[in-house]
Amino acid sequence: MAEEGFNAYKMAQQQFDSIADKLDLDKGTRELLRKPLREYHFTVPVKMDDGSVEVFQGFRVQHNDARGPCKGGIRFHPQETIDTVRALAIWMTWKCAVADIPLGGGKGGVICDPHDLSDREQERLCRGWIRQLSKNIGPLEDIPAPDVMTSAQHMLWMMDEYETIEGAKYPGVITGKPVGMGGSLGRTEATGYGVIFTTREALKELGIKPEETTASVQGFGNVAQYAIELYMEYGGKVVSVSCWDQEDSKPYSYYKEEGIDLEELRSITGRFGSIDKVKAEELGYERLPGEDWIKHDVDILIPAALENAITEDNVHEISETVKLISCGANGPITPEADEVLDEMDLLVIPDFLANAGGVTCSYFEQVQNSNNYYWTKEEVLGKLDDKMTSAFYDVLNLAKRKDIPMREAAYMISIQRVAEACKARGWL
Amino acid sequence: MVKVNQDEKDRGIDAGEKKGVDELQERIKELNCFYGISNIINDDSIPPKEALEKVLEFITDAWQYPDITCARIIVEQKEFRTDNYKETPWTMSSPLMRNGDIIGKLEVCYLEKRPRMHEGPFLKDERRLINAVSDIISKFVVSKELVKPIEKEKKEIKDSKEWEVIIDLLMKTDPRTLLRITRKMVYHLYRTQNKKITELLNTMCPLDREKDTPTWCGINMPNPRRDIEFLNMVQKRVFDVARDSLSSEEISELFHRWMREDKARPLLLKSQKVGIPFVEITDELNRFYETTGGEENLAPEDSISIRSALLSRFFTDRLEFINIAKKFITVDEFVPLLKHTIGPAQGAGKLGGKTSGFYLAKRILEEKMDDDVLENLNFPQGWYITSDTLMDLIQYNDLDEVIHLKYMDPDEIRQEQPFLEQIFKNAIFTQEIIDGLKRILRDLEGAPLIVRSSSLLEDSFGAAFSGKYKSLFLSNQGTLEERLNELTDAIAEVYASTLGPDPIQYRKEKGLLDVNEQMGILIQKVVGNRVGPYYFPAYAGVAFSRNEFRWSPRIRREDGIIRLVTGLGTRAVDRVGNDYPTLVSPKRPELKVNQIVEEKVKYSQKYMDVINLEKGIIETVEVEGILKEYGEEYPEIRDIVSIYEDGELKDPNILTDYGKSDLVVTFSRLVDNKHFISTMRRILYTLEENMGFPVDVEFASDGEDIYILQCRPQSQAQKMERVPIPDNIPKPRQVFSANRYVTTSYVKNIEYIVYVTPEGYQKLESKEKMRRVARTVSCLNEKLPRRNFILMGPGRWGSRGDIKLGVPVIYRDINNTALLVEIAKEKGDYVPELSFGTHFFQDLVEANISYLPLYPDDDNVVFNEQILTGSSNHLSELTPEFSDMEDVVKVTRICDFVDGGTLEVVMDGEANEALAYLKPPDHSLWRMNVVEKIAEELDADLYGVEAMYVLGSTKDYTAGPRSDIDVLVHFRGSEEQKEKLLNWFAEKNKELEKKNEERTGCSVQDLLDVHLITDEDIEKKTSWACHIDSPYNSAREVPLSTDK
Repeated sequence: MAEEGFNAYKMAQQQFDSIADKLDLDKGTRELLRKPLREYHFTVPVKMDDGSVEVFQGFRVQHNDARGPCKGGIRFHPQETIDTVRALAIWMTWKCAVADIPLGGGKGGVICDPHDLSDREQERLCRGWIRQLSKNIGPLEDIPAPDVMTSAQHMLWMMDEYETIEGAKYPGVITGKPVGMGGSLGRTEATGYGVIFTTREALKELGIKPEETTASVQGFGNVAQYAIELYMEYGGKVVSVSCWDQEDSKPYSYYKEEGIDLEELRSITGRFGSIDKVKAEELGYERLPGEDWIKHDVDILIPAALENAITEDNVHEISETVKLISCGANGPITPEADEVLDEMDLLVIPDFLANAGGVTCSYFEQVQNSNNYYWTKEEVLGKLDDKMTSAFYDVLNLAKRKDIPMREAAYMISIQRVAEACKARGWL
Repeated sequence: MVKVNQDEKDRGIDAGEKKGVDELQERIKELNCFYGISNIINDDSIPPKEALEKVLEFITDAWQYPDITCARIIVEQKEFRTDNYKETPWTMSSPLMRNGDIIGKLEVCYLEKRPRMHEGPFLKDERRLINAVSDIISKFVVSKELVKPIEKEKKEIKDSKEWEVIIDLLMKTDPRTLLRITRKMVYHLYRTQNKKITELLNTMCPLDREKDTPTWCGINMPNPRRDIEFLNMVQKRVFDVARDSLSSEEISELFHRWMREDKARPLLLKSQKVGIPFVEITDELNRFYETTGGEENLAPEDSISIRSALLSRFFTDRLEFINIAKKFITVDEFVPLLKHTIGPAQGAGKLGGKTSGFYLAKRILEEKMDDDVLENLNFPQGWYITSDTLMDLIQYNDLDEVIHLKYMDPDEIRQEQPFLEQIFKNAIFTQEIIDGLKRILRDLEGAPLIVRSSSLLEDSFGAAFSGKYKSLFLSNQGTLEERLNELTDAIAEVYASTLGPDPIQYRKEKGLLDVNEQMGILIQKVVGNRVGPYYFPAYAGVAFSRNEFRWSPRIRREDGIIRLVTGLGTRAVDRVGNDYPTLVSPKRPELKVNQIVEEKVKYSQKYMDVINLEKGIIETVEVEGILKEYGEEYPEIRDIVSIYEDGELKDPNILTDYGKSDLVVTFSRLVDNKHFISTMRRILYTLEENMGFPVDVEFASDGEDIYILQCRPQSQAQKMERVPIPDNIPKPRQVFSANRYVTTSYVKNIEYIVYVTPEGYQKLESKEKMRRVARTVSCLNEKLPRRNFILMGPGRWGSRGDIKLGVPVIYRDINNTALLVEIAKEKGDYVPELSFGTHFFQDLVEANISYLPLYPDDDNVVFNEQILTGSSNHLSELTPEFSDMEDVVKVTRICDFVDGGTLEVVMDGEANEALAYLKPPDHSLWRMNVVEKIAEELDADLYGVEAMYVLGSTKDYTAGPRSDIDVLVHFRGSEEQKEKLLNWFAEKNKELEKKNEERTGCSVQDLLDVHLITDEDIEKKTSWACHIDSPYNSAREVPLSTDK
């Protein structure tokens, strides 16, 4: 790869370095955690439908497994590069550590474009990937999951190939399986609920009752809808949601001062959170430009849609009434905007803490797999609440004690936990 | 004078031909007579008495008026007679003889008086015939001992072969038929390589053309003529040869066949007649069919002649079409076809391009497809209206002035259109057409109909009229009267659409305006099922044998493509922009456009077109609503939908409750179903192979069968006209070229190029900067004129994961571009893979945005970076807020390179080549620019100018190199100012004349034609001033500069 320009791996390392400085980590620890423990680079030959053979390049990066088996998705992407995979594996390590689940970080991928492959070719590719790696992954070593351009179907093919090779049932080798095939209940709700579990605790900390708060949500997809559901259950009032309008190819936000009716909005919403604008207006929602979601006089902002929702350009539009921002999406705040927010008097729950509900639920899936006993949805969500709440307080307490932003505290906690595990094992 | 003579001549020919045809029919009767008689008398199983009675029946049939003809035979004391025999004054008789003695007589009488002919009411030929027949009967009665037999004679008769009897007879009565039969015999013998016949033929033309003999002076000298005696001699010898070479059974068999074949002569003659009236050819065809039992009894050469003649009469004169069609569309086919055709009985209209294409496709498939495909392949019941019905309607209602509408100004036509439509709707069809339409309605009762235009121009000029003329759906419900009204309305509307502004404009562009548009009409039953109040096909769509939208390099152009929808096919044929048909590669159905569940759902069909039978209208309804409401009732629902559940798409099964499931139209099972895909693939392949060009086929299915609705060359499909790559563009004007993965498209009138430089993008240090590039592009997308700019950038547009390898735009950021170019520049030793627009592939397809990948490091391609980066960058002017992006985003204005010029990108998928080049302005554009510049320079206050207008050819964009520039100047100044102004314009004129001469080499006097008008003129609308507010021929205002 070319040396110049943006490089995700470099960026992850820089981020680590700055936290390591703050944690005052020794050289050995830094060297170890800056790089993955293990990397597998391998080829996957696939017999194509027309009889020819294509050879694909596959990767698996296991960044750190001091706290438990590695966990991370498998990406199918035509521009997959090892540096991207490395960076993502590092972030997985921190995410699992901040949620305090006994897992490490990993990531994998194949350089391919599924658009160019038939279903059968993709199946052979998945099975080929497992054949190359079956000795190096497993419920006790490294547990893949779906990611960019891979789905539950790919996971099932992989699980089946693994079980065939091992000659036994190992549903825990992969997560993200459909319910009934070893998947966990509550997975759909997990991320959105996780956002609100942490939000609820943050409100407690701020001394505000949820039923007295209002919120504006960016997005109306899976995460946003379940976050709203739980938040409203706690008595909160959502006055605005925003979503992408397919027809006009731009986002709108829908505003209702007395609060939205979730069921009503859901009934006029497409599968990926696109609200029918005509019907919404009929129902009395005011249709505003998409970027207006940030401007409302509310207590809580929940960006739960896209990256870079809050940038240096619009961070100043945030109302003074806002006391809390819960990041449901991945990377909704740019580093530049983060700096501005740090100066403002409000609490930001960082993304990799607020949306850790997803990975926590994957962990639960695996726990259920190994017991071959499956919990009810209430059980799953109850345990999720416990996990998220305690993770939140760990971060909050550190942030308060050190008077640092929660984002920084979260990184510090997770890196510290991983470093300690390495030390305890006598690696360092 | 000339005209009269011509008319007379025409009439003469007609009369002559008619006579010829009548005579021919008489000859046929005679032949039937001989043939019948010889059959009877050679059949020993028939008792003589009975035989003679039968012979009499044949005789009466052979006379001119069989209905009033009777006959009898008297042999010595015995009499044999037809049942209706009566002695009348109109009798013709011939003696029966044996060895010169009269032994009886044959009598033929007419029961009623008939006009006087050669011998009383009888024809000359009938005299010959009666003599010949009495000759046969004489021999017969002698042989059957109705008179005392003589040993020798009896033997002779026994040995006399049936065929020789016929020849004998023909020699006496019908030498012309004999000549034909002789000729056929010669061919037959010649084909079987009979030596003797070759020798015989040589004696006919004994000159050896190879040798230089004194009697032959070259090919330009006529061959010597031989007298008739010689011909007779040859005839005799031909049959001698035949007797020697063939058995008598064989010869008899041949004779039977030839005489049967001879019955096609009237049809052959009539079909060759140019412009033969519809009713006449139909009658003849039916007669032929009834009397001969069809084409199998035709000689191969006659069969081809009649086929091609009928094809050119009803389909088209285009030889390429006839050459193919004559192999498939048989004479027999015309019988049912014409039964389903209506039109003026005396007219000579054709069926039009659409009908021709449909019918040929139907025949090719019926002929060439295997039974397993044909089992589920069908063709909708159709009716056809001939093209002259339109003219007939116009004349019957005295609407002839409407034809001239086409020469009016486009503005006027646009204004006239609604009125015109009403005129047509209120016109009265002739009774014969109304009767025909009623026949159609009775035949196609119950199901909705589609009335399709079938233009002759479309077919004969290869021009793409698709979508320009109307196709209308009818619910076809209610009483016959109501349905008839609905149908005539629809036909009238289709007719009115021939004079709509768009088709007229198009015809003007293609130089087809002066040809009278003739529009046939095709009426088909709509394929479908009734579901609740709705009627629609389970699925329908359009299939192309060439894929112009490849989403993967593994898909080849030749693999074809299917656009599939549920409901009426309209949504697949047209691009609706915000809704998506399912795209399938018939060769590689497993390579799906959308692989990710989210994509599959996003790019799925959301709305469907249906006919609401209760309301009698076409409606667009939400698919999901209908699917859920009708569930299992919905035809083939299991093949059409997938269930969206837990982020996955699953096939429905027996347990599925459609009402409660989340349904997505994916056609997953239909596409996986090998039968449907392989059928479509084979249809495309077969049609392309046999028609000789790539095709575009519309189809629909009621869930059981696949119906083929239409077939035409793919080049005629919307926006798919192939434009050849120009080969005369000088190097400096070429901007870039490509020779990999090129699809067919023609992008023109481009004013700007937005170029994200691969090097600049590569050097960006943060994701934030890369996103800023995307925002810059998005902003330019809003500011630049829609579809008048192209986007060029490195790697994959719309990259999502690693955005380093492509600008992370979304579809909305680029939706106004005309063309999306991805550049794969080599980096070290590898070339990055391109996206083929996968991220928003279907959006591009539906919005008709072209896509082109460039590999600038390849040999033999042009990549003129000088033009892309060397010029001044207009980025900061257009979007000052992004001026920091100047190193990465270059905005080139084409007219910086060529004054008033544009960029054109010609993409030829067939040749896999594309070229983008700078195009100098055309004459109108140049003139328009000139006028705008003058207006800008003109000091309005100084000269007292109020406003300035342009009109005429410059405004209408019809200017040529010699056209003048008509300018109207609204003048409010003094006389002094007027003089100054005119002088100023005179100066300008001189400059322009010089410039125009430099550009074109044409010297034009008074190029700038200035007309001054005053307030008064405008008020009174005198002369030029009338153009200012006129709805027709309006003048266009040119903005004057305001700073002065």
